[in-house]
Amino acid sequence: MDALIARADTIRPLSELKVVKTRDSGKGKAKANSKGKSKDTSTSNSDYTLQSISSHANVPKSLAPLDPSSSKSKNDEVPKYNHIANKKLRSQLVHQHALNSNLSKNALETQQNLLSLAADDAGSIQVTGPLEKTWRISQDEIVASVGGEAVKGRRELTFGPGQGAKRMKWSQNGRHLVFISGKGGTKVSSVDWMGGNVNCEVDLLAGSNLAGAGGNGGGGEAARDVTFLQDQSFFAVAQKRNVFVYDRDGVEVHRLNNIIDPLRLDFLPWHWLLVAVTNSGHLSYTDTTTGTQIAVHRTKLGACNTLTQNRHNAVVHLGHQNGCVTLWTPNLPKPAVQILSHMGPVTSISVNPSDGGSAGSVNMPGRYMATAGRDGKIKIWDCRNWKGVVREWAVRGAGDVELEWSQKGYLGVLSGGSVNVYHPPHIVTPYTGSSSSSAPPLYLSHPIPHKPLQCLRFEPFSDVLAVGHNKGLSSILVPGVGEPQFDSLEADPFENAKARREREVKGLLDKIQPDLITLDPSMVGKFDSAALSASGSSLVATAAQSLLDKSDKVKWGANVQVKNVGVDVPFSRMKRVERLAVQGKLDTTGAGDDSEDSDVEMKEGGDGDSDDEGGLTREEMSKKRKMRGKNKSLKRYLRKQRKNVVDPQVLAVRAKVDRMREEAKAKKLQMKTGGAGEETKRKSALDRFKAGSGK
Amino acid sequence: MVKISVLQHNPALHVPIRPGDPTPVQRNLNPSMHPFAKARERTRALNAAKLDKIFSKPFVDSLEGHIDAVEVLTKPLESLTTVASGSWDGGLILHNLHTRSEMLKLPQAHKGKISGLCFADPKGSRLLSCGVDRNVRLWKVGTGDGEDDSGASSQEPLHVYPWKTSFNSIDHHRSDPLFATASSTVQIWDETKSAPVSNLTFPTSNETVSSVRFNLAEPSVLASVGSDRTFTLYDIRTGKAERRVVMQFRSNALAWSPTLPTMALLASEDHNLYTFDVRHMAAPVQIYKGHVAAVMSCEWAPTGVEFVSGGWDRTVRIWSSREAGGKEKGPGGREVVYHTKRMQRVTSTIYSSDARYVLSGSDDGNVRIWKAKASDKLGVITARERASMEYRESLVKRWSVDKDVGRVMRTRHLPKSVYKAGQLKHTMLEARRVKDERRRKHTRAGEQKPVAEKKKTVITEQS
Repeated sequence: MDALIARADTIRPLSELKVVKTRDSGKGKAKANSKGKSKDTSTSNSDYTLQSISSHANVPKSLAPLDPSSSKSKNDEVPKYNHIANKKLRSQLVHQHALNSNLSKNALETQQNLLSLAADDAGSIQVTGPLEKTWRISQDEIVASVGGEAVKGRRELTFGPGQGAKRMKWSQNGRHLVFISGKGGTKVSSVDWMGGNVNCEVDLLAGSNLAGAGGNGGGGEAARDVTFLQDQSFFAVAQKRNVFVYDRDGVEVHRLNNIIDPLRLDFLPWHWLLVAVTNSGHLSYTDTTTGTQIAVHRTKLGACNTLTQNRHNAVVHLGHQNGCVTLWTPNLPKPAVQILSHMGPVTSISVNPSDGGSAGSVNMPGRYMATAGRDGKIKIWDCRNWKGVVREWAVRGAGDVELEWSQKGYLGVLSGGSVNVYHPPHIVTPYTGSSSSSAPPLYLSHPIPHKPLQCLRFEPFSDVLAVGHNKGLSSILVPGVGEPQFDSLEADPFENAKARREREVKGLLDKIQPDLITLDPSMVGKFDSAALSASGSSLVATAAQSLLDKSDKVKWGANVQVKNVGVDVPFSRMKRVERLAVQGKLDTTGAGDDSEDSDVEMKEGGDGDSDDEGGLTREEMSKKRKMRGKNKSLKRYLRKQRKNVVDPQVLAVRAKVDRMREEAKAKKLQMKTGGAGEETKRKSALDRFKAGSGK
Repeated sequence: MVKISVLQHNPALHVPIRPGDPTPVQRNLNPSMHPFAKARERTRALNAAKLDKIFSKPFVDSLEGHIDAVEVLTKPLESLTTVASGSWDGGLILHNLHTRSEMLKLPQAHKGKISGLCFADPKGSRLLSCGVDRNVRLWKVGTGDGEDDSGASSQEPLHVYPWKTSFNSIDHHRSDPLFATASSTVQIWDETKSAPVSNLTFPTSNETVSSVRFNLAEPSVLASVGSDRTFTLYDIRTGKAERRVVMQFRSNALAWSPTLPTMALLASEDHNLYTFDVRHMAAPVQIYKGHVAAVMSCEWAPTGVEFVSGGWDRTVRIWSSREAGGKEKGPGGREVVYHTKRMQRVTSTIYSSDARYVLSGSDDGNVRIWKAKASDKLGVITARERASMEYRESLVKRWSVDKDVGRVMRTRHLPKSVYKAGQLKHTMLEARRVKDERRRKHTRAGEQKPVAEKKKTVITEQS
């Protein structure tokens, strides 16, 4: 039997093994440094068993114990988790923390390397003196000074008067463009912008004449809006009667019957939802993977001409005729947010997709929203704090103002007869000058003689801004507005057919359920403390016990939530935390307060004799004794009540007794401190007549 | 002079240089480039959990051949494929798991039930069997591994050890030519002698011993469980019983951990499994609850982290032992339950030597092969597939606290009878608990204290 026990000890607990192993690895390093000494180090290691298996039992690098010295020098703040008694758990937490910090550091490094690569590609305008203004630079100058591939971005497409591009949309990767043109908007074209090819042209009039197909019928059917679906292979068109889906070759593949008279369209790529808002003010979400309409909301605000999405939380922003901007999710029948933004109809909304540009910025992407109204104002809003605008300014020129943020946070504004582009940091900085409405400094301006200008869209991953005007479509070069470094796994302008198919399947597999759309996208994967507290995981469940002992609250801090219901959970049914709490063994010290922790320990060590009194400290005990026999009537009342009966009256009386106790204590303290107490006393009008107050 | 540069991509950099080259990939790790990264990962985790459920088809095959219920299964230490099974009709079959064929079939190895089987050497060339016909027989079996010095197995036993009482269990010493049998007493036999060399029974014990096992690390120590509800430890060097504990219920089977030498696992009649550290026998280390009828057999995996148990409730369950380093009990934090429509009471369960399969012998006369991990893929796995499986696994692990992922992992289907029995058992235990609570409430405070479940298990410890 003893032999068995002795044998048991030869296999050591894991923790010990780990220590041995780290020592071993250290020796391995030494071995690498000096090969001559390798023999004695290996022989000196007496643990034969470990050596025999070490070659077969290599731990993967990610699991290997981290070098404590390196982690200490680089991460100054590895928390010690001293408050956790369990050694195993503690070491696990420390290990996890070190791993995480390593990972984030590596990711940052990689990202910086990638950015430095991309920095060569990024477009910019560098001025040499303060007198040189970037907005003076014309498109011709830009085209003349850059060469090669970039010049292809500057294009002028002329369709004829009144037949210019009305609405357009880029595909996710910025390679394809779909736009509405023609007389009255009867022609929808999908083009491969980078390749310079036309994918298809759908003539809504001609279609009605030729085929008389259901969708295109109705004569003079004008397209109101158009959007690509997941990629260039499908696009949806909001026509007079319904929304129709066409494929890449312009063949009508779907007619969405339950969206009637749509005005605006958008597509939520991660949720595969087609969002449409109709003339009657209905907002409908259609799941394009199944074809079902998952939600229809009545906005009750009439026809809606403005719809945009926040790409970072998939919330839909609608701008209404009465100047309201409403934010919608498919899960709420009412707008999540409604603000009165303009004195007059809202003409355009855009949400900033960038996080402020620079690395390490604290802004979350999608924080700022820009709105333009028919009252000639542009306003910038903070989506986290809707109280008032961040900045607003008036635009000159007649007509509807259109605006859009670029990927890098540049704001393009279409007003009157020109396109204006503004800088990122100045747009969102609150203006503190004397006049409340001043435009941010202009970055670039480009006049277009063909009024009215109808729409503008920044091309993703490129420095191109496409503008639709009365006579056609012109694209201009705006240096620096595009993200230079695209991510092939998300959107790749140069992907081949196979990669596109692959991405489509992957995207379908990763489709996010629409009920996860909320204003705060970081909600996913977070610990829901609100739900936990609502489900009643208070630390003390026995109501009577907790109510009687106010000292509990002192001892366990604010974590203790006293349940007011009179449930009597037996000890054996309690959770471990509750048991510990009831026994007074709960550790409520956090990870941050190490110093406090040690204090508490010292104090407890000091009065170890008072442990039989339910863990009360000596001070508390003396207090308890002193209070005995005072305030008789209430106490008597309490005594007469049975202790485990909980009703509001008893609770009130108990609260009162406690309050009085507190007051008495405070008074006593004041008396003790003397002078300090007098100062805090409220002054009365008669105090001035007191002796010594004349000074 | 103003310096102007405009972003331009070189298309040549984004297509493969030569046909057949991989397409160049460009990355940007900026979180704003990856909206909903977390939500998408959660979706992937949910899909991974569902896939895991879809792929979990644990039943591999059943080995037929016995006429009556299979009573015992055993495997040699150093063979991956050889398994011997003994049945109630006295039949003994040597199975080859690889070809799923019978290497040896002895329809009448014993008269009546074969109650114990074990291999006499690690290679598995000699097999010891004992039965209720009061005989222990030593068989020569060919492992069929090719190295046939005398590969042919014979239909006649090499040796017969007759005795006065019927036997319940047998186990061979790891290195010496000794074996232990369990009948009303625990006896040590020498292979070369026809009578037991020593009798190790505890002085006061006169009950039936149902199972006896040698310790794997210290082979002179052995343990037994018996119908007198005891768990007894013996040492053949001192030649006597060292100590024992009397428990509330009798245990049916016993297994020593292969990695923790002091850890023993008991399959108890009270539907639970207990692990005991023999250094501290006053209370079990852990209680494993889950079976809804008596547990008939148990066996550790060769890794020492998991163990398998078979029960009277017609289920095979695979547990992960946390004290041996297992992470959780299984998907969703519970044990894994295997069952089929036709499987009857499970009387014996073993792990295969590579810990990838579990074998169960049941009352319906079949030996069934199960995967130890239900969603394992058999056959060749490419590196890409392996990587994606590992990714899925880590995703599920990472998101297991998520409500939906956790629910998918937790959900399991049980046969109606087992489910109902579980419910009934829960009701009864709950009623008992409530009664205890009430009784405690109405006694003077502090007089009756609730006893921890582990403390209740052991009645007394004797040595």
